[in-house]
Amino acid sequence: MKNTGVIFFPAFDWAISPTHPEREERLLYTRDQIFEEGIMDLPNIHEFKPRLADKKDIARVHFCVPNVEAQITDAHLVSAGSALVIADAVLRGEVDNGFSIARPPGHHAMTVAHGNRGFCNINNEAIMIEYIRKQYGLRKIAVVDTDVHHGDGSQEIFYDDPDILFISFHQDGRTLYPGTGFVYELGGPMAWGSTINIPLPPQTTDEGILRVLDKLVLPVLEEFAPELIVNSAGQDNHYTDPLANMRFTARGYAELNRRLAPDIAVLEGGYSVETALPYVNMALLMAMAGIDYANLHEPDYRPEAFKESAKNLEYIEQIISHQLFNFRSRQQKIEENRKKYGHEYGEHQQIYYDTEGISEDQARRLRICPACPGWRRIDSSARHRDGKTYHVFCISIPTFACPECQKEAFNAYQDMAMYNHHYDYIYLQDRAKDRYIALNVANGREEVYE
Amino acid sequence: MLIGIDVGGTFTDGVLFDNQQSRVVKTVKVPTRNEQLQSSLLAVLDALLPGQERGGIQRIVLSTTLVTNLLATNTAEPPALILIPGPGLPFEYLLTFPHSYIVKGSIDFRGRETEKLDRQEIEGVIETIRAAGLHKIAVVGKFSNRNPQHEQSVRQIIMDKFPDAEVGIGSELAGQLNFMRRITTSYYALMTRQRWTSFALEIEKAIRERGLDKVPLDILKADGGTMPLRNALQYPCETILSGPAASTMGAKAITGQNTNAVVLDIGGTTTDISLLLDGQPLYASRGACINGKYTHIKAISTRSLPLGGDSPVCFEPQKGVYIHPIRRGPAVCFGGECPTVTDIFNCKYDLNIGDAGQSSQSLQRLQKEAGLTLPELLELVEHDVMQQLMEALQNIFMEWENEPAYRVWEVVHNRKFKVKRIIGIGAAASAIVPMLAAMNKVNSFIHELSPIANALGAALARPTLAFNMHIDTQKGSYFTDYDGVGGDLPRGQSMQMVDAHKLAREVMQKLAEQRGLGEYAEEAEFVREEQFNMIREWDRIGKIFELGMQIKPGFIKEFEEGSL
Repeated sequence: MKNTGVIFFPAFDWAISPTHPEREERLLYTRDQIFEEGIMDLPNIHEFKPRLADKKDIARVHFCVPNVEAQITDAHLVSAGSALVIADAVLRGEVDNGFSIARPPGHHAMTVAHGNRGFCNINNEAIMIEYIRKQYGLRKIAVVDTDVHHGDGSQEIFYDDPDILFISFHQDGRTLYPGTGFVYELGGPMAWGSTINIPLPPQTTDEGILRVLDKLVLPVLEEFAPELIVNSAGQDNHYTDPLANMRFTARGYAELNRRLAPDIAVLEGGYSVETALPYVNMALLMAMAGIDYANLHEPDYRPEAFKESAKNLEYIEQIISHQLFNFRSRQQKIEENRKKYGHEYGEHQQIYYDTEGISEDQARRLRICPACPGWRRIDSSARHRDGKTYHVFCISIPTFACPECQKEAFNAYQDMAMYNHHYDYIYLQDRAKDRYIALNVANGREEVYE
Repeated sequence: MLIGIDVGGTFTDGVLFDNQQSRVVKTVKVPTRNEQLQSSLLAVLDALLPGQERGGIQRIVLSTTLVTNLLATNTAEPPALILIPGPGLPFEYLLTFPHSYIVKGSIDFRGRETEKLDRQEIEGVIETIRAAGLHKIAVVGKFSNRNPQHEQSVRQIIMDKFPDAEVGIGSELAGQLNFMRRITTSYYALMTRQRWTSFALEIEKAIRERGLDKVPLDILKADGGTMPLRNALQYPCETILSGPAASTMGAKAITGQNTNAVVLDIGGTTTDISLLLDGQPLYASRGACINGKYTHIKAISTRSLPLGGDSPVCFEPQKGVYIHPIRRGPAVCFGGECPTVTDIFNCKYDLNIGDAGQSSQSLQRLQKEAGLTLPELLELVEHDVMQQLMEALQNIFMEWENEPAYRVWEVVHNRKFKVKRIIGIGAAASAIVPMLAAMNKVNSFIHELSPIANALGAALARPTLAFNMHIDTQKGSYFTDYDGVGGDLPRGQSMQMVDAHKLAREVMQKLAEQRGLGEYAEEAEFVREEQFNMIREWDRIGKIFELGMQIKPGFIKEFEEGSL
């Protein structure tokens, strides 16, 4: 039996729009199930009250364009704040583990936030992880994204961070939003191998996913040896989810969480509000608290209906050995990259915000540093829904940046601020000093969170 | 004239209140004989009645500890439980009482049957219960508050096969969400119902025999409201914790202000603390707790400290001076042997309570023994008392502020309990409360009626009634968590929040009339309202409304608030 902290925050007064999957009704039946079971009354379950995340907590992760206020509602602050409350409870040792059942979700939100992507504006897990690093000094953290959609936002945020292991299994991107998460997306040149994607064929069942867990996820975690494991807990692998095509069950989710034993789970997607969520949330909670879940199942659950086909298992085995190989050759590959790219690496990308129809152009450059993960700069432009085009320049100093990189990056910010007037905003995200600046170029005003 | 009688663990208090003049005419206090509650109660009544015209008595309200005692002593015959849990938590979590039997069958959160009952299995269980010599059976199903059919079917089978059994079903006894609490509440309700009913009827008879054959006779409940005695027969557990409820309502009556206040009832043995939020008593968020188990009984949230005016002040060489949690007798100033907390405050602030000289003499002996000066001793004990009370207050505030929130609005508008005054009631309040209030930098409030505020609270409290209503327009039905009341929605019209309100009002009116509280129905307020669009495949297929409606605790119309 474990002491498990829970926040249940259904945001009964918030929706993206009245008929959107991310609406008030989403956790209504979960509320019914959890409260009717009376699980919150058990002595080892501790219900916490959410709080609002600070804007600074958000600026630590995101460049919100033009500013934090523009990209969030109070609901986002509460949802992110819920993860922070759970993190505090776990890291202060008040509970053994914790589960934030809060909405709206976050795992599609990327570093630069021009709008809503995949129902997400800000990334709850990433905000929590950077908060934990600042507040409690942890460095190595693993995120296992169990949502059916590729956690592209979390991947992007930690892509150049060798101390964050990001593992996502999901329905193959060729068949589902956001269309990414392929095996070859393995991390930036200096963090290669700390991103592991496992695209699974549609109709994958409990058996297939648990195979991936046992033979790939758990061994990789053991070798990486993180100080904390976070489950980015989407619930849309469920066989009744209306937006995806997998065959995972509540019991499968319970089993997954028992074996994974995350320190913290944060709810992500899952839109089968009646036939999946009440059971999956209950299953997760029971598994985390160490309660036997043999009596928990969906009303129409029949074990024989969730066997994996031999063909799928063979395919899954192939991915497993492929990704194990990649993970284990990461040091060697990083050394090769260091030789190959010298002191700087750059790339261009286009990012599409499906919810709001925004297209973002990005040019990113990473300073390759022998002593630290290196600082990043991002040149980004996008036309927002209100018709305004924003062209912004972002500088990001990682938490564990070396003094040279910190200095170099800060100088770069000062140079940009002084001489470069092509941009609407210039941002400095200094995680090392925990100071965040947004410069409005037009009026020269700096907004600072410190 | 109104009569309120509060049977407490130590004393039974009674008050005769003239509501025309808004003044207390007579008060009575007798020691409670716990094995003979009826006699204590009638002794108080008989002391209040002489000289009163029977026709002038308009109302009698009783607050009793009978059910509390039955629950504490476990002397009533235990019921058997037939549980219909379906999938979810392991069954062993549900087996918290002896004679619990789990049967097949399941209902989901929308009230749909997901597994059928097995009649044969149920008949077998009934036989086992009969063979075990039990006569009471509580039938409780998960989500029976969304569809009571399974519980009703099992009840029917019991009535067919075991007609002598007394049966109760969870949806009627405790319809709120939370199966575990429903089990506990149903169990205790069935356990105490017979004994409570015969007790209440005997009392009623005895009162009628005193020439009071037409006077309305009400029972005070844990939520600070009353209910006619005849209607209260069905709800034994509602009468628990009515003592603290009486005190809290009494405190509200004497202050006559709807502010945020702390109510400290400092008796001889214990201090009970409750809160008034804008004049409304704060309820325990998880319901009354009985024998360490949460229930669905709405109760005023009270915290009890083992610290009162009679708590002895002791000295031991190893421990130094300390306050003992167990009462040994009255304070020295009232003829006791051992100095108590009251003696300390009496001496420190020259309060002139009882024989103040005795207080200081006994403390001088203690002071010498402890090797302290008298001022040091007084300071030390006062500090300890204040520390204990302050800590309890902080905890209560924090607990309330940290109650979970489920809406964005609630988190943004964070709760903060700002105390405006501390209301002292109970015998030892006048000694302690002013200092505590000063430390908190708020006003203290002590009224000459403070010592009998509990009986007064009982006399003046008005009836309460509360229910939650769950409306599912796709299913075309609604259910309340009160007595299993539910029904079908009118067909062929789309429902809006105003229609939901109207339906709830109608149900409130009907329930109130059935329970003899019709005149208060229009005072009912909505305390919660939520509406959810049910969307499937991007289309709206229905709505779910959740409403909470309540006749809040308050005072009867015959009493003007603020007139004391």
